[in-house]
Amino acid sequence: MSAIDHYINEVMEVGAGEARADGSAAVEAHHLLLGIAAHGDTAARTALATAGLDRAALRAALDREFEHSLNAVGVSPGALSLPSPAPDPDRRPGMGASVRLALERGFARVGRKRDLRPAHVLLGVLEAEVGTVPRALALAGVDRAELMTAVHRAADASPW
Amino acid sequence: MSADELPVPQEPADALAAVAALRRLADQLENAAVEQAMRAGWSWPQVAEALGVTRQAVHKKHAKRLISAGVTLRRRQ
Repeated sequence: MSAIDHYINEVMEVGAGEARADGSAAVEAHHLLLGIAAHGDTAARTALATAGLDRAALRAALDREFEHSLNAVGVSPGALSLPSPAPDPDRRPGMGASVRLALERGFARVGRKRDLRPAHVLLGVLEAEVGTVPRALALAGVDRAELMTAVHRAADASPW
Repeated sequence: MSADELPVPQEPADALAAVAALRRLADQLENAAVEQAMRAGWSWPQVAEALGVTRQAVHKKHAKRLISAGVTLRRRQ
C-alpha cells in the first residue's frame, strides 16, 4: 500500500471513532474532516489550523450546525435530558454517502492516483456545496472558497 | 404535534438539513432509549414491538453494545 492509502485508512479510522462517539450510524464527510484536522503532519491539517480550524473548533462548528438545523423545525436537542448511551467500541460504522462523494471528488482532482495527496482529500470534502460541512463552515464564519484557495497554496508549498 | 403544525423552514437547504439532523438525533435517542429499557428489564421482543421493528433488527443493532456495557439482558425469546 502507498503512503496515501495508509493516510486515507488512518483518517477514515479517526473518522469512524468520531462517528461512534457522536452516535452516527455511518462515517460521513464531516467525520472525515475531523480526521483530517486531527491526524498526521500534512499541508491539509496545517491549512485548516491556520484558518483556526483545529479538531475542537470543527467539532464545535458541527455541533452548532446540528443544533441550528434542529431548531429550524422547533426541536431543541438540549431539552432532551437523555442518559448518554454506552459507547460500542466494536461497532464499525459503515461508509456514508457523503464521505464516498468527498473521496471521489478528491480522487477526481488528480489524473493519476499516485499524485493524490492529503490536500486533495480535504479539497474533496470542502468542495461540497450543500450538506453538513458547508453549513457548519458558514455558521462558523468561514469563507469556504478562501479556505480552498489556502489549502491549494499550502499543498503547492509542501510535498505532503 | 401534527404534521400541519411542524414548522417547515422556507429554505430547502434548511429543511433538508433538519431531516439529516433529526435522523442523527433519532439514532442517538434510540441508543439511549433501548439501553434504558433493557436496564429496566424489558425483553427484546417488547423493545422491538415498541420501536416498530423486528426483534432481529433491534438485537443486531444493540446487543453487542449493551453486553459490552455490562447490561444484564433478559434471554432472547
